[in-house]
Amino acid sequence: MKNLDSVFAAYLIGWGIFFVFSLSVAKRAAGLKEELGRLKERLQDSTRQGK
Amino acid sequence: MRLFANTAALVGKELQTEFRSRELLITTMFFVLTVIALFSITFDAAVSDPKSVAPGLLWLAILFSSSLMLQPCFLKERTNDTLSALRLSVGDPFAIFLAKLVANVCLLLITELLALPLFAVFFNVKIMRVFPQLILVFLLGSIGIAVTGTALSAISSQARMRELLLPMLLLPLLVPILLASTEATAALLGENPALRWDWLAILAAFDVVFLTALWLFGEYLLEE
Amino acid sequence: MAKTGVYTFLVCVLMGVTAYFSFFVAPTESTMGLVQRIFYLHAPSGMVSLMAFLISCIGSVAYILTRRPKWDWLAVSSAEVGVAFCTVVLLTGPIWAHPAWGVWWAWDARLTSTLVLWLLYVAFLILRTMIDDADRRALVSAFFGVFTFLDVPLVYGSIWWWRTQHPQPVVFTSAGLDPTMRKVFYLSWLSLTCLMALLIRQRYELESSREELRTLEQELEAT
Repeated sequence: MKNLDSVFAAYLIGWGIFFVFSLSVAKRAAGLKEELGRLKERLQDSTRQGK
Repeated sequence: MRLFANTAALVGKELQTEFRSRELLITTMFFVLTVIALFSITFDAAVSDPKSVAPGLLWLAILFSSSLMLQPCFLKERTNDTLSALRLSVGDPFAIFLAKLVANVCLLLITELLALPLFAVFFNVKIMRVFPQLILVFLLGSIGIAVTGTALSAISSQARMRELLLPMLLLPLLVPILLASTEATAALLGENPALRWDWLAILAAFDVVFLTALWLFGEYLLEE
Repeated sequence: MAKTGVYTFLVCVLMGVTAYFSFFVAPTESTMGLVQRIFYLHAPSGMVSLMAFLISCIGSVAYILTRRPKWDWLAVSSAEVGVAFCTVVLLTGPIWAHPAWGVWWAWDARLTSTLVLWLLYVAFLILRTMIDDADRRALVSAFFGVFTFLDVPLVYGSIWWWRTQHPQPVVFTSAGLDPTMRKVFYLSWLSLTCLMALLIRQRYELESSREELRTLEQELEAT
């Protein structure tokens, strides 16, 4: 049964890579959404001021 | 045909520019010799039969040298801002690529031919009996290197870190050339010299595929 | 948004089912034993990475012809996902090889080709970081993307032929697949393909958000 750790290691690393990829994309997306929200607010303020 | 007339004129210009100073040719040649010498030193003690690794080392030396030699190809046009003048002087932008391609193949062949005698001496291989066939392998391999290298020179000249970028982009792309050329050369330098048409076919296929791709899409690379 | 959530959940379920089948339903291979089960992750990942790179090439060609940014987004997203799947192949390979054969690496046809593929597409991604102007970056990397994908059959072909000429003992065998094994293999391929689509979609949304941000910033500067 000693080869079981190899099998586990392989699947763990494999899924780990997919998970880390997805997580890093999600984190960047969340940061972008925040930034987008802020910018939209600023744009609304400046158009209101313009009027 | 205007394409060939334009190309011929540009090839003349490219070769004339290079032979005026010969700096690229001389530097590349000595780089190839240095690499071959270093490889020979490293592998002579480590390997029981250095002749068996000789073809691979020769083509590695050629690949490394060409990835450096092809750098100035489009870089000098961007630095001197002559690209727009070139584009205006020819109707078909492919003529520019074709001209640089032909010039680069010539320079590569000259380098390889000059390096060949020293290679034969260092590794104790008989080249004279298979000389024409060797030239054929060198020609097909050099065309492949020049096609991809010229295109990638146009790419890397638009990016940062271009000195490292060109080799990094070019070398993996040239794996089929490396394998096929090495195998074909090894077959020619072996005990019973034979011309391997299967490997030559792979070289020819590589050349045709990338030449076609360059013809189809190359002009977009020259956009300012 | 809810649709993406449902799809994500389905993909996770599919992956779980595949894992169950890989571990418990597929029969144990006679010569290599338990370690052979890595095959159900290793081999389909390789095929899925090729699919991702094909999608990336389609995006590159479409960008060159239409100059619509969304094709560039597709090209970079699928290239990144392809590299991820390629990395999985290159890491699971040695983990399989070492217990089964005592070596960490073997220059067998598939592993060698995958390594070159990985080098090529990492080069593609690095090239993109070296060009600052968005339109130039899109065009230049699209061109390199086409070149790279055209190289793929040549790389695989030349390496396969090279390996045929100088045979090695077969390390990563997929020969003699038992029918149940074959079914589990196809199931794994299906679930990894669905995962690929999910990851590409996620990464694509990121690019599209970046563009939205840039447009907003430009609008703000204008006011």
